[in-house]
Amino acid sequence: MSKRPDRLPILLLALLASVPETALGHAAFVEADAVRAVRVEGRYATGEPMAGAQVTVFAPADPAEPWRQGQTDADGVFLFVPDGEPGRWAVRLRQAGHGGMAHLDVPADTAAPLVLATGRAAAPSPVQKTVMAACVIWGCIGTALYFRRTRAG
Amino acid sequence: MHLPDGLVDGGTALAGYAACAVLVGVGLWQVNRRPDPGALVPRAALLAAVFFAGSLVSIPVPPATVHLTLAGFVGVLLGWLAVPVIVIGLFFQAILFGHGGLTTLGLNALIMGLPALLAFAIWRLAGGDRRGRPTAMALAGGLGAAGVLLAVALFAAVVLLGLPDDVDAAMERRAVGIFIAAHLPVAVIEGVVTAAAVGLLHRAGSGLLRYG
Repeated sequence: MSKRPDRLPILLLALLASVPETALGHAAFVEADAVRAVRVEGRYATGEPMAGAQVTVFAPADPAEPWRQGQTDADGVFLFVPDGEPGRWAVRLRQAGHGGMAHLDVPADTAAPLVLATGRAAAPSPVQKTVMAACVIWGCIGTALYFRRTRAG
Repeated sequence: MHLPDGLVDGGTALAGYAACAVLVGVGLWQVNRRPDPGALVPRAALLAAVFFAGSLVSIPVPPATVHLTLAGFVGVLLGWLAVPVIVIGLFFQAILFGHGGLTTLGLNALIMGLPALLAFAIWRLAGGDRRGRPTAMALAGGLGAAGVLLAVALFAAVVLLGLPDDVDAAMERRAVGIFIAAHLPVAVIEGVVTAAAVGLLHRAGSGLLRYG
């Protein structure tokens, strides 16, 4: 405990020494770079955006430890830049026990495009949905009729 | 109210499958003990269709969108067969629409199946199938509504007890709270649906409400 106050001035000096001169003169430099970012969008089955959902990004090096955490905006969108590390990145969205995972492959070549491995929202169109639902329902009705018929016979 | 893949750890998902397998086994064994086990199949098949389609109907309850669960409904009308029927319905929802995960199928079946079995137990204890039409309808309505509330409570318990460390627990609790509140109107709707179904079957002949 007693040693800390002695160290403090030294630390402050070191910090001051490291500040660039330009900053003392109130100059500001703005750099803008185009980077390769990932846009994650969460939607419920009804098409509504998952606004304010919790996002956790996992880097390829450690798929168990979160690399970055955040929240989707009002449109259910979250942006991040997978800087450097090539390999399979994972993004998880969750809100009230709903959500899912998406995986994307980041190639070592920075000019190559990112590849979405899993998690593409393949929501069926209303027509597809109706046809699939009708098939299952007809299967159930058929089963019911079959058993009713054998019973009667 | 279906747990998706990827949010629940492997151990919990496996435990869900194990518990669900026990319930399906006991259910099928109970049905097999009856003098005519096949007699319930047509009804089970039809209610599987209703359960499957019921949860595809979205009801907007701002700010969320919810759907019918029909847990109490299938429990009252199917008894022990409710769990196998729920498993089949959830399986088709998962593979066709991605509604609920395949790894979490066991857990989801428990979330729906336990309220169904509880509704069945109360219905049997209260002798619902031997009551007059108004009493049977009131009882079924209550059980239909209670089924939703219990299913939501089980869902919330699984979500909140299994929260990983990297999730903001307070934020997730708030989201679950909104989710629970959004299901209160669903409980009312399902109560009415269950009461109406039992009323119809009662009018058609009270034998339809009996599973022996």
